[in-house]
Amino acid sequence: MSALHRAPGTEVADAADAGARGRGRGPRWVVLAVTAMLAVLLLPFVPLVLASFAEAYFYPQVLPDDWSTRAWRVVLDPDGATWAALRDTVLIAGSVALISLLVALPAGRVLGTRRFRGKRIVELTLLTPVLVPAIAVAIGLHVALLRLGLAGGMPGVILVHLVPATPYVVLLTAGVFANAELELEQQARSLGASWWQAQRHVTWRLLAPGLAVAGLFGFLVSWGQYVLTLVVGGGRVVTLPILLFATASGGDTAITAATALFHALPALVLLVVTARVLGSGAMTTLGGAR
Amino acid sequence: MRTWAALSPALLLVAVLFGGAVVLAVGRSLGVQGVGAGDGPSLHAYRELVRDPGFVRSLGLTLYVAVVSTTLSVVLGIAAALLLRRLGAGRRFATTVFQLNLPVPHVIGAVAILALVGQSGLLSRLAAQTGLLDQPAAFPAITFDPWAIGVLLQYLWKEVPFVGIVALAILSASGDELEEAARTLGASAWQRLRHVTLPLLLPGVLGAAVIVFAFTFGTFEVPLLLGPSSPTVLPVLAHRRYTDIDLAARPEAMAISAVITVVVVLVVLVGSAATRRSIRADAP
Amino acid sequence: MTDIQLRGLTRTFGDVVALDDLHLDVAGGSITALLGPSGCGKTTALKLVAGLLRPTTGRVRFGDRDVTDVRAERRGAVMVFQDHRLFPSLSAGDNVAFGLRMRGVARRERRRAASDALAQVGLTGLQARRPAELSAGQRQRVALARALVLEPEVLLLDEPLANLDAHLRSGMRELILSLQRARSLTTVVVTHDQEEAVVLAEDIALLFDGRLHQHGAPRTFFERPATARTARFFGSRNLIPGQRHGDHVETPLGRLYVPDGAPGGAAVWLLVRPERLTVARTDSDHPRVTGRVVSSTYLGTRTRAEVEVAGVRLTIDASDDALADAGPGTSLTVALPPSALWTVPRDADLTAQGGSTAATAVGGAHTTVSGPAGSDRATAGGGSGQG
Repeated sequence: MSALHRAPGTEVADAADAGARGRGRGPRWVVLAVTAMLAVLLLPFVPLVLASFAEAYFYPQVLPDDWSTRAWRVVLDPDGATWAALRDTVLIAGSVALISLLVALPAGRVLGTRRFRGKRIVELTLLTPVLVPAIAVAIGLHVALLRLGLAGGMPGVILVHLVPATPYVVLLTAGVFANAELELEQQARSLGASWWQAQRHVTWRLLAPGLAVAGLFGFLVSWGQYVLTLVVGGGRVVTLPILLFATASGGDTAITAATALFHALPALVLLVVTARVLGSGAMTTLGGAR
Repeated sequence: MRTWAALSPALLLVAVLFGGAVVLAVGRSLGVQGVGAGDGPSLHAYRELVRDPGFVRSLGLTLYVAVVSTTLSVVLGIAAALLLRRLGAGRRFATTVFQLNLPVPHVIGAVAILALVGQSGLLSRLAAQTGLLDQPAAFPAITFDPWAIGVLLQYLWKEVPFVGIVALAILSASGDELEEAARTLGASAWQRLRHVTLPLLLPGVLGAAVIVFAFTFGTFEVPLLLGPSSPTVLPVLAHRRYTDIDLAARPEAMAISAVITVVVVLVVLVGSAATRRSIRADAP
Repeated sequence: MTDIQLRGLTRTFGDVVALDDLHLDVAGGSITALLGPSGCGKTTALKLVAGLLRPTTGRVRFGDRDVTDVRAERRGAVMVFQDHRLFPSLSAGDNVAFGLRMRGVARRERRRAASDALAQVGLTGLQARRPAELSAGQRQRVALARALVLEPEVLLLDEPLANLDAHLRSGMRELILSLQRARSLTTVVVTHDQEEAVVLAEDIALLFDGRLHQHGAPRTFFERPATARTARFFGSRNLIPGQRHGDHVETPLGRLYVPDGAPGGAAVWLLVRPERLTVARTDSDHPRVTGRVVSSTYLGTRTRAEVEVAGVRLTIDASDDALADAGPGTSLTVALPPSALWTVPRDADLTAQGGSTAATAVGGAHTTVSGPAGSDRATAGGGSGQG
């Protein structure tokens, strides 16, 4: 699975920009084709935006007759259902990110910096939960969690979210360690830094941005999770995806649209942060973070 | 020894939770600790499945969705990458916009596609405005439809950028160098694509294709929101049986999820063997 | 045997002029080296000849054929790249056969041609190997075979030796020369290494800052450089400021008879070639100078000493016991035979850069490959000296 193994930091745009192709935009038809392609990819967001600002969005209106911020006020109401779901989602995704990161630090360091027998098997073992569909995990674990009294509550949901999130964070962390120039730590020691000083001034600074992004990925895997929450939460844990699904089948298109857009925001933040820290190539990895 | 100590928390977590899930599901599907499927291990649930035409049709639909969306994602993703690479100034910006969908959760994608191509969606409204049709029902049903076109559209919307970004990363890493070499050796544009660029992309894109297949074969929420209901895809079927009032259907749910797992694992194994073979060919 | 004519080739990237108005003729069947420091435009020039880049202005002709608008793949010029660029998924044999396959040559025929070509570069029996299983030297040979099997009109080599270890270079150099001579292939080789250019090429075109600076046979670059910049690029260590009066030059070393030398004003650099200097014998009738040895380095086949004479540091290379025995601080008399001396014009700019007379001479001795580019530009602008 070279797509997953591709270390974060593979520059997509940078390397391409460096090519000595001059400053032109490229052939005209390429510009047109790219523009069309991007427009198609962004098109599905258009009805969401329109609907979210409609007082009522009757067929066959393309632009709503009456504009309103009603849906957004409902979604952003601190006493409303969306806000409560947001709080729970953040709590769950935050815990998942934190626990994954704690587990990933030692494992990622070893996988990223050492060669040892059985390494490939470890990597494959870590990959399987990412690839095996969540529905199988959800159904498999549900009864066991019921017996342990963990189903239907946040701890159980956090636990099952760890299954797809942890492998991701471990593999990303391994990439961060593999790409960091940890030899600089030895250089710092030889220049008279104590072990602790070397960690603080050199190693930590090399690793922190990458680890932050790895944590963000863990956050996002949990953030978008639907079926694990549905089965294990048993309807009592209402995260944003659960709420979105409920409103989507519920009928109020304006509120559905606003909830969907609201839910998409952190993903876009992550996109920007990741591109800044690791270079846009790291998004390859993100493709698997569903 | 310290190596394994450092790995153990992560491996333990995966082994206990994921391994536990698989063992429990398979165990139950075989009737071990079953809830009403007879005593002792048996293949009863699987026999029931094989006899059930609903399951067989569902398996067919799921395979169809996964194969078609994987194939199209690969073809369109590679095309998109080749196109983006030819862009001069503004490539960076275009690449960023191109991957905008990647981190967006699937539920949102499904809701958005529904709002776009559903029978009362934006496209239908535009058609009505231009007088092409007079009511929502006249718009071709491409959501909840037997060919699962809405589901396929959603998958493409998400996976074409994924494959595209993987391909673009490979192309950027290798630059134009091999194509240049091929040019001076007399290869035409088509020959360069066929003999140089595609072989270069093969290992990485194969890996991406495996991921896309695993995903499109096993996803629950997208077909639940956009797909046909009878037959439906295996993950939805599994969930339906699992939440059936009749607890006797549970071993069948477990068996379905075991089938999903086995298919995905098989594809992963075959895919990673093929990937490794093509990687060995171009290892530095 | 196709000759190459480059007429006013200019290529810009955005605001950067990578190559500026290059006029150059490469005789059919000969090897010409495009030489210069990195960024001088030599690779741009090669890619323009190959057709991988289009010129902003100017024409490329192969024989009586104008190929400026001919695509690279139809041009008949094959390029061998510095980083070999073998196709990783193809075996060595399939790499060599690649171009024939593109032409639609039948499998059996191209197999035979590929194994012949591999044999010619000394890789008999390695057809089945993948590039990953070959050494750096073998990869470069496969790349060469891949080009030669097409029997190109023009062979373009981009730094063919740069990626090889020192001990592989001479073998590769011999191979390139013998294969080129056997076929009388019109060849252009790009290199940043003056030694490589001298050994490989019959003709050297020296480029600085995108312009042709000097063009001629290798010997002229050593013995009759047109400018101080050329001299420095070719490793001249002793540049001593002087004033020309007819056939004589007035320098801190004294008044020396130097009949020729590049034309120019009265202000000149006197170039003294270290390997032509000797420790003076009493019976020698060459002019001689006496100074103090500052440092002495044993280089195996010879000894290099720095001698300070009248405020000027003079480097002398000789395999002479007298030199080997002369430790720092001892007094040494050096003979200056006429064949060691040459002058090039000295610019006001260059003097200003160097500061005081003595410091200039010392500075000159330390400058090896590329002097500060900006200050030398006035010299470069002087065009392409004698050829």
